[in-house]
Amino acid sequence: MKKLLTLVLALALVLSLCSAFAEGFSGELKVWVPDAAVDFTAEQVEAFKAANPEYADMTVNIEPVGEGDAAGKVITDVDAAADVFNFAQDQLARMVAAGALEEVEPGNAEIVKAENDAGSVAAATMGETLYAYPLTSDNGYFLYYDSSVVTDPSTLEGILADCEAAGKSFYMEINSGWYQTAFFFGTGCTLTYDSDDEGNLVACNADYASENGLKALKSMIKLAKSPAFQNGSSISNATNVAAIVDGTWDSEAAKELFGDNYAAAKLPTVDGYQLSGFGGFKLLGVKPQTDEDKLAACDALAAWLTSGDVQLARYEALGWGPSNLEAQKSEAVQADAALSALGEQLAFTIPQGQYPGDYWSLATGLGDRIISKEFDDADDETLMGVLTEFQDTCASYVG
Amino acid sequence: MTNNANVAAGQQKLRSKKGHERRINGTIYTVLVVMSIVWLVPFVFLVLQSFRSYKLEKGGMVDYLLPKHFSLDNYAFLFEGSNFFSWLGKALIVGLIVAAVSAVLIHACGKLLDKGEESRGRRIALIGGSLLVGFVALTALTAAMQGFVLAGSWVKVLLSLLLFVLAGWIMARVYLKQDSKLLRSIPGYVVEDRHEGLKKFVAMLAEFLVLGIIVQFILAPMTMSQYVRWYINTLTIALFTAVLQTAIVLSVSYALSRLRFKGRKLIMNAVLVLGLFPGFLTMITLYFLLKQLGLTQAGAVPGLILIYCASSGMGYYISKGFFDTIPKSLDESARIDGATRFQVFLKIIMPLAKPIVIYTILMAFMAPWGDYVFASYVAFGHQNGYNVAVGLYNWVNTNDFQNYFTRFCAGGVLVAVPITALFLALQKYYVEGVTGGAVKG
Amino acid sequence: MVDLDYLKMSKPQKFVHNLGRFFKALPGRIGGGFVRLGRAIGGCFKGLALAIADLFTTFKNGDWKTRLSYLVMGSGSLARGQWGRGLLFFLFQTVFNLYMVNFGMAYLSKLGTLGTVATEKVGRKTVYGDNSFLILLYGVLTLFFVVAFLYTWYANIKQNKISQQIEASGRKLKSTKDDLQSLMDSQFHKTLLALPTLGVFVFTILPIFFMILVAFTNFDYNHQPPSKLFTWVGFENFKQLLSSGSASYGDTFRQVLFWTLVWAFFATFLNYFLGMFVAIMINKKGIKLKKVWRTILVMTIAIPQFVSLLYVSKMFAADGLINTYLMKWHWISQPIPFWTDPGWARFTIILINIWIGIPYLMLIATGILMNIPADLYESARIDGANAMQMYGKITLPYMLFVTGPYLLTSFTGNINNFNVIFLLSQGKPMGLAGNAGHTDLLITWLYRMTVSDTNYKIAAVIGIMVFVVLAVINLVVYNLIPSVKNEEDFQ
Repeated sequence: MKKLLTLVLALALVLSLCSAFAEGFSGELKVWVPDAAVDFTAEQVEAFKAANPEYADMTVNIEPVGEGDAAGKVITDVDAAADVFNFAQDQLARMVAAGALEEVEPGNAEIVKAENDAGSVAAATMGETLYAYPLTSDNGYFLYYDSSVVTDPSTLEGILADCEAAGKSFYMEINSGWYQTAFFFGTGCTLTYDSDDEGNLVACNADYASENGLKALKSMIKLAKSPAFQNGSSISNATNVAAIVDGTWDSEAAKELFGDNYAAAKLPTVDGYQLSGFGGFKLLGVKPQTDEDKLAACDALAAWLTSGDVQLARYEALGWGPSNLEAQKSEAVQADAALSALGEQLAFTIPQGQYPGDYWSLATGLGDRIISKEFDDADDETLMGVLTEFQDTCASYVG
Repeated sequence: MTNNANVAAGQQKLRSKKGHERRINGTIYTVLVVMSIVWLVPFVFLVLQSFRSYKLEKGGMVDYLLPKHFSLDNYAFLFEGSNFFSWLGKALIVGLIVAAVSAVLIHACGKLLDKGEESRGRRIALIGGSLLVGFVALTALTAAMQGFVLAGSWVKVLLSLLLFVLAGWIMARVYLKQDSKLLRSIPGYVVEDRHEGLKKFVAMLAEFLVLGIIVQFILAPMTMSQYVRWYINTLTIALFTAVLQTAIVLSVSYALSRLRFKGRKLIMNAVLVLGLFPGFLTMITLYFLLKQLGLTQAGAVPGLILIYCASSGMGYYISKGFFDTIPKSLDESARIDGATRFQVFLKIIMPLAKPIVIYTILMAFMAPWGDYVFASYVAFGHQNGYNVAVGLYNWVNTNDFQNYFTRFCAGGVLVAVPITALFLALQKYYVEGVTGGAVKG
Repeated sequence: MVDLDYLKMSKPQKFVHNLGRFFKALPGRIGGGFVRLGRAIGGCFKGLALAIADLFTTFKNGDWKTRLSYLVMGSGSLARGQWGRGLLFFLFQTVFNLYMVNFGMAYLSKLGTLGTVATEKVGRKTVYGDNSFLILLYGVLTLFFVVAFLYTWYANIKQNKISQQIEASGRKLKSTKDDLQSLMDSQFHKTLLALPTLGVFVFTILPIFFMILVAFTNFDYNHQPPSKLFTWVGFENFKQLLSSGSASYGDTFRQVLFWTLVWAFFATFLNYFLGMFVAIMINKKGIKLKKVWRTILVMTIAIPQFVSLLYVSKMFAADGLINTYLMKWHWISQPIPFWTDPGWARFTIILINIWIGIPYLMLIATGILMNIPADLYESARIDGANAMQMYGKITLPYMLFVTGPYLLTSFTGNINNFNVIFLLSQGKPMGLAGNAGHTDLLITWLYRMTVSDTNYKIAAVIGIMVFVVLAVINLVVYNLIPSVKNEEDFQ
C-alpha cells in the first residue's frame, strides 16, 4: 500500500514537472520601448506568440518609455519596472551596479555573441558577463545635410561657409558630453573609464590636458564663433537648418525636412583632422525575476526581439540600424544613406564605454561656456587650465 | 482788469494741471499697453503655432511666427482614435432629453399642485415620484440608444439610476423651496421675474446636461486617444481634489480659527515647522507608500488624489485668515439659541464664507493641471496613468518625440482655454481670497 | 535708549536700530532658547514620570473594571455600559496586536541593521533578501504605531479613572449617544481634525521622519533595494555635502545656496515693488478700462505654468523666436546665450518670473490699496505733499505693515520655487560638481539627486539643509517684524 502511494506520488511529481515544462508561461509581461517602436514591437510580440505556442496565453503589455527614462526607472523601482526594456549602452554599469539587470541566459548568450557585431557584444558585457541583448548598432552620429546648400560636406570650414552664405544654420550639440568627443577623440585624446564586474568604475584614463586637447577645444571655440553655428541635435526642433550632426533615429524627420535634397555623410574634417566621436549601441535588457518560468519567457521574448530577422524588420519599419551581422549585410541596409554614412564614420569612432553620470553634466558645463563665448579671447594658458580642471574632475569620479 | 487777469491765471494753472495730469495718464496708458502686449504675446504665439498645418509644415520648431498654412491638423491628432465628438453629441442629446422631460414633469406637478391643497408631503411625493418615474424611463432610453446589452451591466445601470434618483431628490428639494407660483410656471420660470427665472432655467438645463454626460460616461465608455485619456485623468483628479481638499481645508481652518481646544497652538506650530521641509524631499517615500496601497502606475489617478488631499490640511492658512474676520458674536448668539457647533459651522459660517469656499475650490481644482513632478513619478511609465502635464511635457522635452512641438501647443491651448475661462469667471473670489486671507491672517 | 528718541527716528533708522538690537540680543535669545528647550524637555520627563506614577496609583485605587483595562483595553468602558468607547478601544488593541505579531515586530527588530540577508541567485532565479527600504519605512511606521498605542492605552486608563470617580460621586456616565453628540458639539474639533491629522501623519510626518533617517544611511545607486542592502553611516553624508574636496559637494552647496538666496530675494522683492507699482497705475483715478488691464495681466496666473513656461523657455532658446527675430532685424549678429551663459540664464529666469509673478502682487496690492482710508491722502494733499511723498509716507508703510507675513511666506515659497526653474532652464547651464547647474536652486538640485542620480542620501541631506536655512530665516524675521506674530490682532 505504502509503495503504491509512493509510486503515485512520484508519478504525480513527474507529470507536474513535465507539464511545467510544456506550459511555458501564461502570466503578464511588461515591455518598455520608445514611443515610435510601440506598434512595431506589438506586431513582433504577436509573431513571437504564434511561433511559440507555449507562450500563446501570455499577456504582454507594451508601454512607451524612452531609453533614457527606462534605465532610471528600473533602478528606482525594479519591482514596478518593465520585465523587458530598451536602454542605451551607457547606462549598463549603473544598472548592473544597482542589481537591475539579469544576465543573459547562457544558451542565448552563445547565439548573441556569434550573431552580433563585436562592438555591440562588448557594449553589453560587463567584466566577463553578457548582461543584455544587442538591439541596434546605430547609436552614433554623423552629418545630415541639405545638398542644395552644402556643396562639400567633407570639411567643417566648407560647411560653415556654405551655411553662412545661404543664411542657414549648422547644428551640433557641442554642450553634450556625447557629441563633444567628436573633437577630442578626433585629435587623438582619450577619455575612458575601467569598470569591474560589479559595474563600479575603478580607473579613469584621460589626457584632455594636452596639446591635442587644446587643439580640439580651439576648434570648438572657432565653431561657436561662426554665425551659422547653432547648438542642438534634434532635427525637428532645429530651425532654419542646412546641416546637422545627428543620428539614425532622426533619419525619417531628416528625409521629410530636406526632401529631395536629403543627404548624409560621415563627419567632416576640421583644422585638418577628422572628427571622431562615440559609436554606441542600444540594448534590450531583462530585469531579475523571482519566477524561473517568467524569466525563461522574458529571455525567449528578448531573444526573439533581437534576432536577425526582427532586427531587419525593425530597420525597415523604423530605420534603426541592426547589430546583427546577417541583417547588416542585407541589401536594404547596405543601400541606406544614413546607415552607410554611419558606417563610414564608424572607422573613426571609439566604442562608447561606461561613464559616470557626473561626466555628462561636466561636459555640458564646458560646452555651455564655449557657446556663451567665455573663451573667445582666452590665451592658451587659460584654456590649458580649463582642460586640466576638466580632466582632474573626470578623474575624481572614480572610487 | 486785475480780477480778470487773476481768473485767467487761475484757469491757466488749472489747464496746466490738467495737462500735467493728461501727460501722466498718457504715460500710464503707454506702459499698460506695452505690458499687455508683453503679457499676451506668448499666448498669441502659442495659439498661432497650434494652428500651423502639420501636413505641410511639420510639427517642429520654426523660425517664423505666422504659419504659412492654417489647419486643424494638430487638434485632429489629439483626438485621433477617439470617438470623442460622437460620444459627446450623444451625451448632449441624452442630457437635453432628460432636461426637457423633467421640465415637463415638474410643470405637470405644478398643475397638479394647483388643484389640490398644498401640503409639503404631497408635494414631495408628487414631484419626487414623477421625477423618479421619468428618470427610470430615461435611463432605459439612454441604454437603448447606446445599443448596449443590459445583461452583465446591471451594476452600471443601477449606478446611473442611483445618480438620477439622487439628482431628482436634490432638485425636488431645491425647487420646493421656491415659491410655488414659480414652480407652476416651469418651463421658463418667467412669471415673477423674467431674468431670475431664465437664469434658473438655464442653470437647471446645465445641470441636466452635465448629468447626461456623467451617465453617458458610466453607461457607454468612449474609446479614448492618449490625449483624451490624459485629459479625463486630469479632470477626474481635479474634480475629486477640489471637493475633498476644500472639505479638509475648511474643516481645519474653521477648527483652528473658531474653536479653542488643547493642542491648538501645538498643531499650528507643527504645521509651520513641517511646512519648512521642501515638498520633493519625501517624493520617493510617498511613491513607495502609494505603491504599497497599489495606487501607482495603473492606480495613478486615485493615488494622486490621495497625495493631493492627504496633507492639504496644512494649507489652512488663507482660509483661516478669512474665518478670523467673521465676527465671533455671530457664533455666540447662535450658541445661545441652542445650536451645536456643527450647526453653527454648517448654517452660519459656511454661507458667510462663500468667497473663501469658492477660492479654495478654484485653487484645488487648478493645481492638478500643472503638476508634472509627482504625477510622472506616480504614473511610473504607465501611459494610461499620465495627466496632461506629464504627457505634454514628454512630447516637448524628450527626444523620443519628433515633430510634436505644434501638437504640444494645441494640447496646451485645450488645457489653457477652459482653465483660463474658469479663472477669469471666478476672478472676483480669487482676489477676495488672496487679499482677504493671505494678508490679514 | 529712551522711547522718545526712538519715536523721533526716521523709518530706516528705526529699522537699523531694531536690527542692531536684534543681533545684540541674539546670543541671549539663543541662550534663552536653549534654556526653554531644556525646560521643555525637563517638563516632558516630569510629565512622563507623573503619568507613570498616576498609572500606579490608579491601579492601586481602581476597581476590577479599571484594573482589567490595563490588560484588555476598553473592557472597563464595556463593563460600565459605555459600549461605543469600549468597542473602539478594544478594536484598536486587537488591530495593534495583530499588526505587531504578524508584521511590525519583524521590521522593528531589523531596524538596527536595516537587514542582513543579502539577495542571492538560486539557479537563474533571484531570491530577494531583506529590503532595507521597507525595513526602514515599516520600522518607522511601527514606531509611530507603538507611540500611538501607548498614548491610547494611557487614555483608556485615564478614562476609567474618571468614570470611576463619576460613578463614585453618584453622577451618570456619558452614554455612547452622548459621546456621539459631543463630537458634533463640544468635541467638534476632533471630528473636524481627525481625518486631516491622520493624513498629515501618514503622508507628511512619516515620510519626513523617514527621509531624515535616510540622511544617516548610505542609500544610493550602489545600495539600491531590493537587490542591495543599505545601512547606517552616521554623519558621513553631512560631511560630504558640507566639506570641500574633490569627492565632496561643499563648493557646489555654497554656490547653489547663494544663488537660491539671491533668486528668492529678487523674485520676492522685485515682483513686490513692480506689482505694487502696476497696481497703483491701474488704480489711479482717471485710468479707464481698469478691469481689462487687470484681466490681461492675470492671464499668466490662469494658464497652467507647464504650458506657458515651457513655451516661453523655447522662445528664449538660442534658435528660438526671440533670437531669430532679433537676428532677422539685424539687432544682433549672434544669438544671445539666454540659457547657456550662467549670468544670462539667471537674468532671464528672474525676468520671466516677473512676467508670472507681478499679477499676484498686483491683485493683492489692489485689494490693500482700496482699504487705505482716503482721508489719509486727502490730509496729506492739503499739507502739500506730492505723489512721491504720499507714496513714501502712506502707501508703502501701510503695504509693508499689512503684507509682512505675505512677504515672508513668499520668500519661503520662492526658495522652494521648483516650477519656474524646472520648466525654464532645468538648472542649466551645468558645470558645478555633483550634477548641479548654475541656475539650480537647492530644491531642483534635490530633485535631480532623487530622480536622475537616485542619490537619496544626499537628497535627504539637502532637504534637511533647506529646512535649516528656512528655519533660520523665519526665526530672524519673526523677531524683526511684529505684524507677523500676533494672530489675534485682526480678530
